[in-house]
Amino acid sequence: MEEVPLLKALHAKYSNEAVILGISVDISVDRVDRTVKSKAMTWPQLADGKGFDGPIAKAYRIDGTPELFVLDRAGRIFARPGSARQIEAQLQEALARPERP
Amino acid sequence: MNGQPLSRALSGFLFAAVMASGFTVDGMAVAQSVQPAPASTVADVRQMGADARKDIEAYTTAGGAAGGADHRAIKWAAAMWQVHDAAPNSEAGALAALDAIRLLVRAELWDRAHGRVESLGADDPAWVRVASAVYEEAVARKSFDYAVTTLTRIAAATKTPTIKSAALLVIGRVHRRQGDLPAATRVFQEARAAAPGTPQAEEADGLVYEVAHLSVGLPAPAISGKPRNARRAITLESFRGKPVVLVFWAST
Repeated sequence: MEEVPLLKALHAKYSNEAVILGISVDISVDRVDRTVKSKAMTWPQLADGKGFDGPIAKAYRIDGTPELFVLDRAGRIFARPGSARQIEAQLQEALARPERP
Repeated sequence: MNGQPLSRALSGFLFAAVMASGFTVDGMAVAQSVQPAPASTVADVRQMGADARKDIEAYTTAGGAAGGADHRAIKWAAAMWQVHDAAPNSEAGALAALDAIRLLVRAELWDRAHGRVESLGADDPAWVRVASAVYEEAVARKSFDYAVTTLTRIAAATKTPTIKSAALLVIGRVHRRQGDLPAATRVFQEARAAAPGTPQAEEADGLVYEVAHLSVGLPAPAISGKPRNARRAITLESFRGKPVVLVFWAST
């Protein structure tokens, strides 16, 4: 959760050029709603309340958080930032690439 | 344990380990006044690990250098190794060996870590865990030759399916890290075949899936749904043309 301020800054800076999509692996969607509201996380937030057993978490093999992916303009996996601090540099790299290289 | 001298902190564990291993202790007065300690349990080993980390942190905070000959990790690793040697076939013994090697790796005491690794017989149950510590060592040093050589030797020598599988899993991870995805997949499949129905085989399955579906350059798995904080459903596909940052998170 300490990544929230960084994500907020990224969302403010890049909201026209890129998408931030949150996927919560909480096991209570009410809890997700409370957190999203109290932390003012304004980017889209998916949550199914199924924790690591939800279909998206399983497809991405999530077994801990935070887990981060940067996708390129064509929807391909571009990078796996090890921490929220690394997102911006990798996002800029993805932004610098045309959709069909 | 805070503020306790290292020698005292260690002696309790050493004594427990010695008692558990069945050695006699010099000085009858001491022996008679103390009940024979029960064999170290997993909880004991975890506590020991926590105490070791606190003590080592104090050492480094006080300016103790990584790799130093007086590094406190050396003593803690030796104490843990006694727990391993006292009960090498127990869960606690395997955990103690793993933690000893981890402490040496984090202290950048490479030669000592290698010495401990090499002292393990090819069928020592600790290998199932220690294999991953050897991988951590390779990642920390950005040098994979030692891990590959050692684990290739163990995979060939061991008669224990789970050890063979655990060793192969690490070799596969090295291939993956070095970008040789076909070799990674082949070795993960070997790891699965070596120990069917075990946690190692399950891990191998997961790694084969990761290489096939989550490697850089591959289309990201489909995502769709209605965000909790939006009115309309979204799909990953609808974002085509813009880079996307996926953030998997949980409330704390």
